[in-house]
Amino acid sequence: MLSGAAWGSAFGALAALGAWALRLGELRPVTLGFGVAGALIGGVVAARQRWTESEVALYLDARLAGAETVTTALHAEAEVTPALAFVVGRATHLLGKADPKRLSPRVLSRVHALLPVALGAIVWVSILPLPPAPPAPPQAPGAERVKLDHLQGLERIEALEHLPGRTPEQDARLKALAEQARKLRADLAKGLEKREALSEISKLRDGIAAEQLKLGDQQNRAGLDAALGAFGKNQALRSAQKALGDGDLTAFDDEMQKLAKRVETSDREAAKEALEEAAKAAREKGAKGLADALDAERRLFGKREDQSQALRELAESMKGKLSPEALEDLKEFGRSGDPKAERQLNEALEKALEGLSPEERKRLAERLQKQLEAGGDSANPLSKKQLEALAKKLSGPEGADALREQLRELTKPLPSDDAQREQGLGDAERGGRDAARGLGALPMPSDDGGPSSGGPPGKSGKSGDAGKPGSGGDASGKGGTGTHHDSGQGDHAGSTPEVKSKELRAKADARMLPGAPMQGATLGRAPARAGETANQLGTGTLGSVGQTEVGAVDHSDIPEEYREQVGRYFEP
Amino acid sequence: MPETPSDFEARLSLARDASSRLKAAIAQVIVGQSAVVEQVLWGLIAGGHVLLEGNPGLGKTLLVRTLSSCLDLRFSRIQFTPDLMPSDVTGTNILVMDGSGGKTGRFELHRGPIFGQVVLADEINRATPKTQSALLEAMQEHAVTIAGTRHALDAPFFVLATENPIEMEGTYPLPEAQLDRFLLKVAVPAPNEDELTQILARTTGKPPGEPERVLTRQDVLQLQALCREVAVAEPVLRYAARLVGASSPEAVDAPPLVRRAVRYGAGVRGAQSLVLSAKAVALLEGRAHVSFADLQKTALPVLRHRILLSFEGEADGIAPDQIIGELLGLVPTRPDAVERAVQGA
Repeated sequence: MLSGAAWGSAFGALAALGAWALRLGELRPVTLGFGVAGALIGGVVAARQRWTESEVALYLDARLAGAETVTTALHAEAEVTPALAFVVGRATHLLGKADPKRLSPRVLSRVHALLPVALGAIVWVSILPLPPAPPAPPQAPGAERVKLDHLQGLERIEALEHLPGRTPEQDARLKALAEQARKLRADLAKGLEKREALSEISKLRDGIAAEQLKLGDQQNRAGLDAALGAFGKNQALRSAQKALGDGDLTAFDDEMQKLAKRVETSDREAAKEALEEAAKAAREKGAKGLADALDAERRLFGKREDQSQALRELAESMKGKLSPEALEDLKEFGRSGDPKAERQLNEALEKALEGLSPEERKRLAERLQKQLEAGGDSANPLSKKQLEALAKKLSGPEGADALREQLRELTKPLPSDDAQREQGLGDAERGGRDAARGLGALPMPSDDGGPSSGGPPGKSGKSGDAGKPGSGGDASGKGGTGTHHDSGQGDHAGSTPEVKSKELRAKADARMLPGAPMQGATLGRAPARAGETANQLGTGTLGSVGQTEVGAVDHSDIPEEYREQVGRYFEP
Repeated sequence: MPETPSDFEARLSLARDASSRLKAAIAQVIVGQSAVVEQVLWGLIAGGHVLLEGNPGLGKTLLVRTLSSCLDLRFSRIQFTPDLMPSDVTGTNILVMDGSGGKTGRFELHRGPIFGQVVLADEINRATPKTQSALLEAMQEHAVTIAGTRHALDAPFFVLATENPIEMEGTYPLPEAQLDRFLLKVAVPAPNEDELTQILARTTGKPPGEPERVLTRQDVLQLQALCREVAVAEPVLRYAARLVGASSPEAVDAPPLVRRAVRYGAGVRGAQSLVLSAKAVALLEGRAHVSFADLQKTALPVLRHRILLSFEGEADGIAPDQIIGELLGLVPTRPDAVERAVQGA
């Protein structure tokens, strides 16, 4: 019984200890009750398990070395045989000569020591202060709050509201994206969890990606192939074909501008025909977005032709006043339609215009008048009214300013809405990437922890210092040379300060920082789309695939037995 | 007039005295092998048959011959060979012609060696199973059926068989049913140096005389009757049941070694043999009741031929004695609470 009480109280003590360890302070008043209840239950259970007579006999036999004599005598049946009677006599004799004190089992055993120990433990646990609360779990990566007044890159997303949408619905969506970016900026100014901010940026980038025209996707693929075929017929259109094949509408628009400004009529006509044919073919193949973009290009093509023609005619009128370099630019502009040559021609014309005397301006007006009369209204890029007004102004003192203004108008680029939109969306996408990087989503693996930066651009060189074309400063730390039109007084000694770092490591060899996100890991939300690879941000896997990349697996030197597997892996 | 405890004590004393004399008479011829002699006496007193297993030349046959010489019983010997027929063991009816030379005659029973009272079945595993089976009825029922007529064998009937474990070629291992008929399987060990020295001195000189007869047929029957009267308490019987039960791999409380190495354990006849042998042990020690120790003492010879090893057990080279040792160590005699109290006292 004592053993039962001891075990019961020990269990009670364990329960009290458990309550203390779990900081269940409200259970402390009843912990003593645990021990008492345990002792009582143990005592009752033990009392119900008292030894039977047979067990007592077995114990006595073991203690007396009686070879089970007492046990056998106890089990003597009603009919006592001579043998049993003999055994009973032996057992009686055995028990009679035994010392009862030596036979009784020990009342106390080592187990009974548990009783006071357990009760003492319960009392001790009851008065012991509760253990301190465990330290809070470490903050999840990205859970820290960031507070930023300005996050670089968001302004490019906000600029989406100024972009022309393809449809009114897209207009609304672009404005909504800009509004989200503004809201994120406001939230960041107040303070926001880093992971939430990164998630918002991811959403914005996904939204931007969804608005971009994907010429290479499943819907537009056939149309794009058909359109590219139309551009492949003429050698002069190869650059445009490549730009379109790369899915770069901005580059395609630039190529179209160059073609429209060429002096060669055949090139321009070929370009117009190709645009028309390509738009038709794309529409037939179901690539409506691409067909609309090509139609818009075609409409702009005529305007650009007129604009460049007017510039050339004006230059022809002032041919005597132009420098040899400007004449070279005029020739280059007519040959290639290069915007750079156009810009330089414009600068030369402005400069020549400043040197015109009132008499010369009057003669220029007369020449323009003659061209007007000779060419008629339809042949001249400038309207009759425009030329009349220009001729009138040229004869007056305000003629120089009017001509300069007219020149600027003529060299002003006329980008297509689609090109403008795609460029704006591309800018916004890069802005989103910069913003994510600014929040630490993609840390640069440099020793000093921050991205290295190039030095300031070099100062412009003196005019005519070098015959080579100038270039701007770059991140390599060297200043750029000035242009030959530059009249600045600076020198070319621009430099970039040394980066204070032992080494600049490649990302792949970056040091892993405990608690920091893995290199290149995408934080935040990136909703999956059918056929895409996971964790791809932006335009999707093959959204803007180049023409040469189509069927690349089939044309590569992958062994035949693996070709199908590799093809399946890269399947969009 | 009913027997009093004093009368019983006198009988018990006589029995003990008789067994002491018998052992002393055997010791005049057999050097050492006291454990073997003791176990053979258990078999004789319990009324069971004994299988002696040992290498050639260890005195198995001599022991049996000596025992029969010490007892006033009919002795017969059967040398088992592969061509031995069942009728060679049991006997047969023979046609005996009339003495007048006429053409009439009658069948007369020609009794075989099985009709002896102490039968030595020498090298029993050399006979075919058919001939070995001729012993079955005689050993179990103490009777022989010849040509449809059942002939009871005279009591006491005691079969002592020998077998050689190392010569396997041309032998027929005893079937399980036959083995189960033996109360004990006694392993005959090789003599140690002292015993061997004594054997050499005794057997290389003048031939020893015949041992004296110390027990009559009536004495043996009284011993066997007294053995049956020995009392066994229920806890002791339960221990025997637990011990035998745990030898079966299907038993809930079978030790892991039994589960792994045993195909079939001992059965009911094994448990009966265990208790009977323990009674003989108690009687030889002058007690009228069986103790746990008696059961433990007889467990090896009683159970070793009743435990059939599994393929895994045989492959691992596990012997039945090893399994019985494990059972004796694991099956408790007393309840845990009693055992703890005994240990703590």
